[in-house]
Formats: sequence, structure tokens, C-alpha cells
Amino acid sequence: MGSHDHGHNHSVDDPPTLHDIDKPGGVFLVYVVVLVLALVNIGLSASGGLGVIALPVQLAIASVQALFVAWFWMHMRRKDKVVSLTAVTSLFFVFIFYVLVLGDVLTRHRGGL
Amino acid sequence: MVSASHSSVLKHHFDNLEQQHSAERLGMWMFLATEVLFFSGLFVAYTVYRWLYPNEFGFASSHLILWIATVNTVLLITSSLTMTFAIRAAQLGQKTALIRYLLITAALGSGFMILKGFEYYTDVEERLVPGEIFRTEYAKAVEHQKHASASDTDHGDLQHWSAELAKHNAGKEIGQEGYIDPHKIQLFLMFYWIMTGIHGIHILAGLGCIFWLVQQAACNKIPRENYSTVEVVSLYWHLVDMIWLFLMPILYLAGAGMKG
Repeated sequence: MGSHDHGHNHSVDDPPTLHDIDKPGGVFLVYVVVLVLALVNIGLSASGGLGVIALPVQLAIASVQALFVAWFWMHMRRKDKVVSLTAVTSLFFVFIFYVLVLGDVLTRHRGGL
Repeated sequence: MVSASHSSVLKHHFDNLEQQHSAERLGMWMFLATEVLFFSGLFVAYTVYRWLYPNEFGFASSHLILWIATVNTVLLITSSLTMTFAIRAAQLGQKTALIRYLLITAALGSGFMILKGFEYYTDVEERLVPGEIFRTEYAKAVEHQKHASASDTDHGDLQHWSAELAKHNAGKEIGQEGYIDPHKIQLFLMFYWIMTGIHGIHILAGLGCIFWLVQQAACNKIPRENYSTVEVVSLYWHLVDMIWLFLMPILYLAGAGMKG
């Protein structure tokens, strides 16, 4: 209410943080990297030469692509700590999800603990 | 009291625009975290069953339409590029460029959905739908295989999946080494339809947000100070793109090299 507004120093026409504006060259470079990685992923897999390591390689490439997108295009490079914490926390819970489920499924019919 | 020259974009409960923008971004990141957890449920379930039934999942995956997935991947990555340029245009106050990049992003996303629709149509035509459709097609192929003579020519790459599967399983018992269980193939197809379908719904939601941004920009409601409106939508769009980057290899490349 009224007391809430007192003492607030509203800046006049705050400009956007100009140092945060992406450079076109940098944006396009990330695009090329992500696109090339996608085509490499498809090409490597289609060649059939990866065998049992196909899935780990595919997911590793996808992870690198995701890292590029998150760091540059989603602006995690700004080092906003709370944003980074949110992203890392979600991945941590996904990790727990995988560990607990796979820990159950992969150890069934083997005598248990 | 609020200053007379208070920005129309700045909301009363924020000290300045940067704080407001930070709060908006954090709010979207919180939502994205829930989206990651949502999809992770599907990914974990898929991982379990792929580990249990690698041959069936590989067989089914090899019969999906890889060229459509490849084109869709290019479309989606390019749409993320144009979305990033849209943020830049918003930050620079370039209304025309902003609208242009948003419309290009929407066009690329729509192209993705059109191709996805064509792919679904083809999958239905091919009877790659779990349930009665799949079972009936396979039963027909098994019956045909029983009556197939040794002189029947091998159709190679042109062979329908049901004929290929029936021929592969001919003479084998369920559970026998090398037998590819059609029930477990249907499990893969269930994951395929549900995961790509839910991803498609997310694309549609993103397209709705992008068209809303176009309307807002056209009505001059996205000045330089309000660029974060574009940024939060872009965060959502990038996540949907990232999900596809993981979805595509696990669904379409599981059996790469197996076909033919």
C-alpha cells in the first residue's frame, strides 16, 4: 500500500543492460555448433559403427548441445546465481530419479539386499 | 510516492527494471525446472524398458522416419536461433525486426508441427500404432509368412516392418534367443507416440505464446524496457528445443544401422 512505496528509488526509464545484448556473430556461431553436432549425431548413428556405445555417445552429444543452448542462448553465462541454482537443482532431482528407479529395476531378480 | 517519471513498464513492487527482469526470468526458470522433471519421468521409464528390451526397441526405432526427424531437428534449432535474435531486436527497440524474427520462429515451429503431422499420418498408414492396429497387421504378416514359398523374393529395404518381423521370427518360439517380441515393440511405440505427442503439445503452447508476443509488439507493448517479456518466452522455447535434442536420438537413433 502507501507505506510500501515510501523510500523506493524508482529509476527513471531504466535502460536495458546494454552489455547483455548478444552479438549476432556469437549467436550464429552457437547455431552452427549445435546444428553440426546434431548432424554428427545422426550421421554417426546411421553409420551403425558405434555398437553398444551408441546410446552414451548420442546422449553425450545431446548434452553438449544442451549446454551450448543453455549457456549462450538462455543466458546462463550471465552467472545469475539463483537461475543457475534452479537449473542445477532440477538436474539433481532428475539424477535422483534415475538412480532410485534404475537401482530398483537393474537389481531385481538378483537376490535383493 | 512514485516518481512522476516512473517507467510504465516498472511494476510498483520492484525497485528497478533489472530487479523486475531478474524476477521474471527466475519465475520462468522455476517453471522450466518443473518441465524438466515432467519429461524426466518419461525419459526414466523409457530408459528402463529400453534396457530391458534393446532388440525390440532397436527394431521399432529403425522403422521410424529418420529424414523427418532430421529436418525437424534443423527446423527447431533454427527457430531457437531466430528467437535469440528476437530478444536482441527487443533489447534494441527494433520493433519491425522483433516481429519479423518472431514470425520466422513461429513459421519454423509450425513447419515442425506440419512435418510431425505428416509423420503421424504415415505412421498410421504403416500401422505403427500400438494396439489392435499393430496386432492385426502383424498377424496378417505372420499368416502370409506361413504361406510364403522359398522362391519369394526378398524385398530388402522396401519390405514392410510386419513382413520383416514375421520373417525374422519365423521358426522361433516366444522367448527364444533372437525372437523379437511384437508386444515389446508396441511398448516402444507407446513411448514414441506419447513422448512426441506431449512434446508437440508444448510446441503448440510455445507457438501460442509467440503469436501473443507478435500481437503485443504490434501494439507497441514491448518497448526496450520490456524486452524481458520476449526473453521469458524464449527461455521456454529453448527448453522445448533442448528436450527434442534428447528425444530425437533416443527414439529415432536407437536402431540406427539395424535396418536393411
